[in-house]
Amino acid sequence: MKIDYDTGDFFDEMYHADGTARPHYARLVETLSALSEEDFHKKREAVELAFLQQGITFTVYGNEESTEKIFPFDLVPRIIPASEWSHLEEGLIQRMTALNLFLHDVYHDQKIIKDGIVPMEIIKSGKHFREEMVGFEPPKGIYIHICGTDLIRDHHGEYLVLEDNGRCPSGVSYMIENRRAMKKAFPQLFPASGVQSVSNYPDKLHKALQYIAPQAGAATIAVLTPGIYNSAYFEHCFLARQMGAEIVQGQDLVVKSDDCVYMKTTVGLKRVDVLYRRIDDDFIDPEVFNKESMLGVPGLMRAYRAGNVALANAVGTGIADDKVTYCFVPDMIKYYLDQDPILPNVETFLPYREADMKYVQENMENLVVKAANEAGGYGMLIGPAASKEEVAEFRAMVKDNPRDFIAQPPISLSRHPTYGDEGLDGRHVDLRPYIIQSDKIRVVPGGLTRVALRKGSLVVNSSQGGGSKDTWVLNNDQ
Amino acid sequence: MLCRVADSLFWMSRYIERAENTVRLVDVMHQTILESEHSNEDVGYAHWEPILLTLGDRDAYDAIYPKRSSFNVSEFLTFNEKNPSSVFSCIKSARENARTVRDQISTEMWETLNKLYLFIKRADSQMICSESDFEFFARIKEFAHLFRGILESTFPQDLGYEFVVCGREIERAAKTCQILDTKRFMSSSTSEPDDAIDAVQFAAMLRSCTGFEAFHHEHGSDLDTIPVRQFLLLSQKFPRSALFCIRRLQVAMHAISNCPITLFSNEPERLTGRLVSKLNYALAVDVEGENGDRLIDDIETELENIAIAFSRQYMQAEIYDPAVEATQKQSQG
Repeated sequence: MKIDYDTGDFFDEMYHADGTARPHYARLVETLSALSEEDFHKKREAVELAFLQQGITFTVYGNEESTEKIFPFDLVPRIIPASEWSHLEEGLIQRMTALNLFLHDVYHDQKIIKDGIVPMEIIKSGKHFREEMVGFEPPKGIYIHICGTDLIRDHHGEYLVLEDNGRCPSGVSYMIENRRAMKKAFPQLFPASGVQSVSNYPDKLHKALQYIAPQAGAATIAVLTPGIYNSAYFEHCFLARQMGAEIVQGQDLVVKSDDCVYMKTTVGLKRVDVLYRRIDDDFIDPEVFNKESMLGVPGLMRAYRAGNVALANAVGTGIADDKVTYCFVPDMIKYYLDQDPILPNVETFLPYREADMKYVQENMENLVVKAANEAGGYGMLIGPAASKEEVAEFRAMVKDNPRDFIAQPPISLSRHPTYGDEGLDGRHVDLRPYIIQSDKIRVVPGGLTRVALRKGSLVVNSSQGGGSKDTWVLNNDQ
Repeated sequence: MLCRVADSLFWMSRYIERAENTVRLVDVMHQTILESEHSNEDVGYAHWEPILLTLGDRDAYDAIYPKRSSFNVSEFLTFNEKNPSSVFSCIKSARENARTVRDQISTEMWETLNKLYLFIKRADSQMICSESDFEFFARIKEFAHLFRGILESTFPQDLGYEFVVCGREIERAAKTCQILDTKRFMSSSTSEPDDAIDAVQFAAMLRSCTGFEAFHHEHGSDLDTIPVRQFLLLSQKFPRSALFCIRRLQVAMHAISNCPITLFSNEPERLTGRLVSKLNYALAVDVEGENGDRLIDDIETELENIAIAFSRQYMQAEIYDPAVEATQKQSQG
């Protein structure tokens, strides 16, 4: 395949600005060049058909009828050399440690607030702060068992943390399926020295869930899903199947007056010890949170607080991945660990602070504005690309609800050669590694590289035209 | 096993069976019409009406289509999304149920069902309904056979399997009865008995149940009401006869409860056992004329009762009732 590629004015993952391949990509470039374009195209079609037939799909909302789509998969893998990965790994472990300490603090002594590092107001006004968790000790003191942290690279190739997803991060099934598809389609691309495996993720997850079981012995573990119409239902099933766990919906569970959780089976009720829940706090227990919720289990919080069932992630972790709280994570790392953050944040303005509000209002057309509590690329303004009306609309919204927004200068995400209609072309990418916490914190080597398939687009979310790539962490540096 | 999982397996299986049976009915009807007078859509519709009446769908049809035509009925039974029993709707529902238990069934089962869904979703409904595309119907039947084959060779034969069998056999027995019913509606539409037409109709019915050849093995070429009814209701060997299906259902039910087949441990087992006996000891006279009509009605009603009792026994979400728990506590205290 002819590689005629322009890195443009961006940091490119594969190529130096002078057009030579980075050393850890050299072998891939060589193997790719030897492939015919036709072969490559055929493989791509075969992989897409396989995904569709296997039902590896997600649901897009918004239309009257929600539609099932495959998550587009790009066959050019992203490669991370071993030393670069250890840097990321260290940074992510540090961050996860601090976030967990923060959550414990915020729901107990609130020292970080008393010491004036994080303002009380931020916590109290956070939509995801849960009064019900105050004073409660979750099993083994762990709040975030599974985290998906989004990383981007700036102009110089430095890794920055864009956001932490400490509630119900999704996408891990694509990480595993992408690797599987890649091995089938292009075995010849894999380096002789190998690529670090991601396939044992479900096993690690299973151990982490077993670790927090309230009773000794084999625990009954279940994945709690909102159901087949949820966009990530495929993933919920995938994980349950791979772990040998039950997949349950709210209607399958009851909390009896003994404050234990049971599932309804054909031979009666069976006790459940651990729930890997993929339902947000708001919907998890209509007795405590959203009263209208049909997805949750009445009494679940009661059972949780009594210590009869463990939940992963804990309730109330949303206060840590709130986009406003995000701004304070570097301070948390300093405060709790007395360390400098290994992975910096993206420069962020908080309209909540008066000086920042003024700056944001005056420069909105040059900023990216995000709703503090939304995910999936919803509720977002990309100033430079927005119309005057859109900017005005956000200006008013930010003015009225300063706590609900943050603003960042647009970061030109790094690009990666991606196979499109005109051959290889640069597309913006980010990286979501998955972190699991049990007896210690482990980072899955690799993660989900998301790619904005539309030319020039910076939005990598699957709901908005994003795709994904297999992500290889090498065993060495080349 | 979760009640909901049992329910989904049961219905997945039932919907696939229903889709396949409807395809058979439609396919056979298309073929039969070719040899009958079908000069215009009205006459064509007259051939279809007995099927609509048997399936109890004529009102639903009239609510959707202003005009009674052969094309419309074919569309209604095969593709229409508003008809919950159309082949498309059944396949969609089967897939939806399979998706709910995606973690319980084998990858091969899911993929076959998903392929079937994609196949019918992409089919050219206009062409198929106007030109009777046998290829299309054959493919769907093949998918259904394939699915059952895959089920037999990839699905662990424990509890879940028995729920699948129960769904399939209840549906199959009910459909065989409905197919026999079509003859009743056909007879009522013509006043005078005509042996030649009767023979064609009986042959069509047997073909709808894939029983044409098997019938001739058991009964020779005696295409008449009593032998056909005996065959489709009481055959000990033919896999789609009502008795055969209900016996198979009984075996599956007792495998779920582990209760010996000569006894019963719950209501659906009792109802099923009673129905098996009734058919097991039936004579030719019991399928003759009005006796036979009544027997067919009884089987259909009993199958419905069995399905309800079965669902109540294993799949109802009401297994736990907090009010009952509270009263028990009080009475103990």
